[in-house]
Amino acid sequence: MNQPAPQGRKQRIIIVEDNALVAKFFQMALERAGGFSCLITEDVPGILREVAAGEVDLVLLDVSLTNAEWDGRNVNGVELCRLLKEKSPRRLPVLLATAHAMSGDRERLLESSGADGYLEKPVYESAQLVAKVRELMA
Amino acid sequence: MSAPVPSQPREETFIEEMKRYLHLGENDAILLKRLLPRLEKHLPEMAERFYAQIPHHPGASRVFTGGQAQVVRLKSTLQAWGRGLFNGVYDEHYADDRFQIGFRHVRIALDQKYVISAMGVVRSFLQEKMFDEFPNRKERLAYSQALSKILDLDLNLMCDSYFRATMAHLQTLNQELAQAGLQLAEANAIKDEFLAQVSHDLRTPLNSILSFTKLVLDGLCISPEEEKEVLRDVFSSGQLLLRLVNDLLDISSIEAGKLALQLEELDPRAVLDSTLPLVAVQAASRNLRLVDETLEQQLPLVRGDEIRFRQVLLNLLSNAVKFTPSGGVAIRATVDHAQGFLRIEIEDTGIGIPADKRDSVFEKFVRHDPAALSGITGSGLGLAIAKRLVEMMHGKIGLEGGSKGNGSIAWFTLPLASHAQPPEARPA
Repeated sequence: MNQPAPQGRKQRIIIVEDNALVAKFFQMALERAGGFSCLITEDVPGILREVAAGEVDLVLLDVSLTNAEWDGRNVNGVELCRLLKEKSPRRLPVLLATAHAMSGDRERLLESSGADGYLEKPVYESAQLVAKVRELMA
Repeated sequence: MSAPVPSQPREETFIEEMKRYLHLGENDAILLKRLLPRLEKHLPEMAERFYAQIPHHPGASRVFTGGQAQVVRLKSTLQAWGRGLFNGVYDEHYADDRFQIGFRHVRIALDQKYVISAMGVVRSFLQEKMFDEFPNRKERLAYSQALSKILDLDLNLMCDSYFRATMAHLQTLNQELAQAGLQLAEANAIKDEFLAQVSHDLRTPLNSILSFTKLVLDGLCISPEEEKEVLRDVFSSGQLLLRLVNDLLDISSIEAGKLALQLEELDPRAVLDSTLPLVAVQAASRNLRLVDETLEQQLPLVRGDEIRFRQVLLNLLSNAVKFTPSGGVAIRATVDHAQGFLRIEIEDTGIGIPADKRDSVFEKFVRHDPAALSGITGSGLGLAIAKRLVEMMHGKIGLEGGSKGNGSIAWFTLPLASHAQPPEARPA
């Protein structure tokens, strides 16, 4: 079994994904790869607090969210991404997870959200996810 | 107070236009008036000649549905028309009367060509009688011309009426066609949306199965316990997938009208007793009280399909348990002898559903999973299926707020066996 390679501070990743099992897979894949510590949440004010404090190294963001609320209304991944970029005091890479059916909209989503990259769901290969995350953090 | 109508140059009406075109003047009217006493005695025979055409009309059995009585009535109407023809009053009123013909005939799908040819028969009959009445050629000519003019005018009015009626009819048909087109497009859009939703919902658990299996295969779990936990997720995703497929098969066979229900007399007690244990385990594992308040009651026989009755009951009960974090679920029954139905209520102390959302939960793929239950836990089809099944058993289904201000009450009714339609023939 893979052992996480502890080398100093672990990089902090926030996973915003409304499907509990998908989020769990993201977390396990990243944490087992080593060097990452993940938090799964849809609590927008909490996320923004951490981001504003500069404590977050990357946000993995699903485009469609059910429980994310800001300013008294539901927000989706695109809107949340813009908020994150606005509040972050330093460069904050955001990886946007898009569903299979959105292939046509992908470029548009990337542009309108200001995200740094996208991840096409479904993801079965943990290596693929980890590679993408490392690429954006580099 | 209505504003005075501004005076406009009055357009010449159709009847005035035709009178001018046919040179039908005062003189003709006088001649025609004089014709009446001479030709009146022939009117009954004229009507006979007209209606002798009926057997040759291909749609006669469809059009003349009133039998002999109808034909007798029509013959006297035709004679009255004949009298009016000679009467000399050819005004708007006369025209309006003739304008009704087309609308009447188009409505009963009587083809205008048959009426026009029958009018031809009338015309040659009347001209023939003119020879008998006026042996003098010169005298006959003047009367004959006046008769021709009024018959031409009449035919023109009739044809115009057919034209207007046909246009109006086409307009109605066009509107209906446009409406049908809209409905079709709407149904198509709903179907597309359904398909997109279904493929998304099928992929979600399937993706979890694949990704977690791969996680185990890649050796990324740190302990056998974690491996087990991941496999449990794979298993529950598989269960969800199976439930979804089953529900999809159910709803599509219901919507295609292929689900045959076996409606028979049922003892609700037996159905309750065999269904409750299935949810009791589920309830106990979540520390919920499951109370059957119907135990002391004598429940009358109902009419329904046993398997589907149980399916509806199980669906409502497991929903109640699923959305109730603490407290309990109670089953109640009331009998309405006057209206002839049994009402079964399932009340929970759960999270409830806002009043304005209560109808929509019976629609396909409408879920009200709250934050606490994030992620898909059901197919989103259970209540839609339950609603259709209950309706197929001639009952009703609904959702209300809980009696103590929280939770909700899901209810459905089934007709009492004593009150239901007499059972159709079925194998003894």
